[in-house]
Amino acid sequence: MELLFLIAILLVFLALGVPVAFSLLSASLLTFVVMDIPLVVAFQRMSAGMSIFTLMAIPFFIFAGDLMYRAGIAKKLVSVAEAMFGRPRGGLGLVSVGASTLFGAVSGSAVASASAMGSTLIPLMKEKKYDGDYAVNVIVSSSVVGLLIPPSHNMLIYAAAAGTGVSIGDLFLAGIIPGILTAGLLMVVAWLVAVKRGYAKGTFPGWRAFLTAFVVAIPGIFTAVIIMGGILSGIFTATESSAIAVIYTIFIGFFVYRSLGWKSFVETAKQSVKITAMVLLIIGAATSFGYALAILEGPTKLAALITSATDNPLLVLLIVNVILLVLGTFMDMSPLIVITTPIFLPIVMQMGMDPVHFGVVMMLNLGIGLITPPVGSALFVGAAVGKIPVEEAVRTIWPFYGTLIIALLLITYLPQLSMTLPNFFH
Amino acid sequence: IDHSHRPLYSADAHPEDYPTVQAVKEMGRLLKERSEGRLSVKIFSGGQLGSERDTLEITSFGGLDMNRVNLAPLNSIAPMTAIPSLPFLFRSTDHLRRSLDGEPGEAILRSLEPHGLIGLCYYDSGERSFYNTKHPIKSPADMKGMKIRVQNSDLYLAMIKALGADPIPMALGDVYQSLVQGVIDGAENNWPSYESGSHYEAAQYYSLSRHVMAPEALLMSKSRWDKLPKSDQAIVRQAAKDSVPYMRELWDERVTGARTRLIEAGVIVNEVDDLAPFIERMRPVWDRFIVTDEQKRLVKMIEDMGDS
Amino acid sequence: MEMLAKFTHKASDLLVAVSAAGLVLMTAIVGWQVFGRYVLNASPSWSEQASLTLMIWYILFAAAAGVREGFHIRIVTVEQSVPPKLGHLMRVLSNLVVMFCGMAMVIWGGALVSRTWAHTIPSLGIPRGVAYLGLPIAGALIALFAFEHVLTTLQNKPVKTEENT
Ligand code: NA
Ligand code: NA
Repeated sequence: MELLFLIAILLVFLALGVPVAFSLLSASLLTFVVMDIPLVVAFQRMSAGMSIFTLMAIPFFIFAGDLMYRAGIAKKLVSVAEAMFGRPRGGLGLVSVGASTLFGAVSGSAVASASAMGSTLIPLMKEKKYDGDYAVNVIVSSSVVGLLIPPSHNMLIYAAAAGTGVSIGDLFLAGIIPGILTAGLLMVVAWLVAVKRGYAKGTFPGWRAFLTAFVVAIPGIFTAVIIMGGILSGIFTATESSAIAVIYTIFIGFFVYRSLGWKSFVETAKQSVKITAMVLLIIGAATSFGYALAILEGPTKLAALITSATDNPLLVLLIVNVILLVLGTFMDMSPLIVITTPIFLPIVMQMGMDPVHFGVVMMLNLGIGLITPPVGSALFVGAAVGKIPVEEAVRTIWPFYGTLIIALLLITYLPQLSMTLPNFFH
Repeated sequence: IDHSHRPLYSADAHPEDYPTVQAVKEMGRLLKERSEGRLSVKIFSGGQLGSERDTLEITSFGGLDMNRVNLAPLNSIAPMTAIPSLPFLFRSTDHLRRSLDGEPGEAILRSLEPHGLIGLCYYDSGERSFYNTKHPIKSPADMKGMKIRVQNSDLYLAMIKALGADPIPMALGDVYQSLVQGVIDGAENNWPSYESGSHYEAAQYYSLSRHVMAPEALLMSKSRWDKLPKSDQAIVRQAAKDSVPYMRELWDERVTGARTRLIEAGVIVNEVDDLAPFIERMRPVWDRFIVTDEQKRLVKMIEDMGDS
Repeated sequence: MEMLAKFTHKASDLLVAVSAAGLVLMTAIVGWQVFGRYVLNASPSWSEQASLTLMIWYILFAAAAGVREGFHIRIVTVEQSVPPKLGHLMRVLSNLVVMFCGMAMVIWGGALVSRTWAHTIPSLGIPRGVAYLGLPIAGALIALFAFEHVLTTLQNKPVKTEENT
């Protein structure tokens, strides 16, 4: 009853045009009133949800990306990328899928990937006359793939929730092939949509021009080296690397390219906090909403439906996937892993599914939830850095949702995709 | 809507199958039985309602009815809870259990009441030891310059600094990744957490320093507590107390199981033969956190209980 | 009315400027953390808690400014597909909801501050309540900004912001 109330309030406020963050907050406040929970709790959860160390990567990457754009570094990078990959139609789209997947893989966070790759690549794609919605769609859908490719802290949460016996090493191995498969499918659809929209083909400017462009871009390219290299070599965490990227970009903007001045620096910082605030306020409010949903045992009640519905294994898997997708539409990923793993894992294991395989299915499934409204933090970040309304991005995202769903079904029903690598290493 | 008959909502950061969660479940079973169904417990495990620090605050506001937490996040709320967290205070698990079951343990639980919390009982959290990616630790010199993850607690920070290592406060969930990447060289925890966080896959040297034996505590919010009739309060207290032996049994099993599995998995374990140089360096740490007369009295009492 | 607009405009600009300074400071703190770990071989233990506390503050400040400037993400599909009069009413209602949220932040955010004032933030040594102090401050401004929107919508005048002045 209270559960329906919570969701109904949210939907009504959203439809009314109340900003997403305030819809989530007021829905949880009203639910707390009904449930006789002190309202301070809502604000405690909201603040806690906004102050997580790994989330600090969001403002940093937005800031770094915006600085690179204003300092003209981004433009230098695009001419190199264009010369290298720009020849097929939508080549920059394919590059973006690759980069966003890779970044998501390294940072372990779809939201960090959407903010880092989105704030650098979306302006570039727009510059090359790609539509904003296409650019956002490509970035956010491929940011999800990084969740499957190790390292992934969500897999650790899953391993802990699944209990002893699920090796994190196995989980990491299991995600690799599904991750590559999903990225490949996304590249195909990114290319198809680009062709359909008739994005211009690039031309190779000749080796001389390419080399000049490359040399000029070297200090900018080094940003990527710092971020990726820094994380992979263990010099810093993803969050730290994002802060270092900001400092480095300020340095080359002011002193190497001399294209950044005090005034544009201040403007950039102001722009970045605005985008950060609109995204993180939603994440904070969603934490409060998620708390109300958890207290009301939303996930548990929904799961009870399956056991009563059917015992056909294929169907059960389908229903589990549908339920996770629905829950992922309202709640964020890590609390959902914690809540639903103990519910679903015994059910699917009874049908002979390996817990490692289920972990991979869960990652992609809940990852899709990160880019679906009404609560989809990676989608919001992508739309915010792409400077387009969420609705505009969602209107044309269907081919990408479709592709991710197809990948999800393939990964669910073909255990070999996940289990081949872990079995090989045993 | 009348909510006075709803179950006691209890939060736990440990996963469903962890001994603390199972013990609170057992307590709930006893409650139901002894109150003819009036009282029951609903557990939200796995940190789904937030970190221990968060749920602790929520419990003190009366937003949650019960909370099972480690003592570390309580240190910054109630200074008395620093006592059982003191490094090298307890000589053995037996010494720990006797102290907590006796007057010192009771006094520390009572000190929580002004903060909106009723201390019900302690659960074991085992002996914490150091593990790292580099080499076995046998003396403080082996730890020099090592980056060691600690809980976000001033006591732990001071302890690691005193040992000559570099303490890095970090959420438990980030430890595995940071060990793999080399952002940190090691951490410290009990056998079961070393196993359940997969940390052993990244850091294979486990050195049995047994430096801290700080227990976990089961707390109730004062606001819910005050709404219970005296007779029900007594039932709650007794049920919590009665869940302790059950927890200890599960805990000992869990420790033995984890140790056996991890040694089989190739973890390199060493005893620290000479603890004296470690203990010597802890003097200033004790002096910094044990300042009031009441704290000193309880520490002395605990030390004396170790001799019997 | 004119005076209110002048005040809210100034306040909103100031909030964004303070937030931007917070972001720059946070960058410096995390940079210092890396520097400390590798160059000084002693990690500053305060850096994580300091930057997290700072983050709550500047998000809330910029978010408050966002209410005035109207940059928060919201769904306008319904509003745009109903008759203008109804859409107008919806805008008034949605701003009222935001206003109530702001007021709730003042009351219960303030309660959160006072109830955690006796707790300390480890490694910083300051009251936990400091971390939450941004809630009532930003809440008051959110309520004020939303109230201004309610008034101007009723009078059919858009709030003057950076974008449409
Ligand atoms: Na990853
Ligand atoms: Na979603």
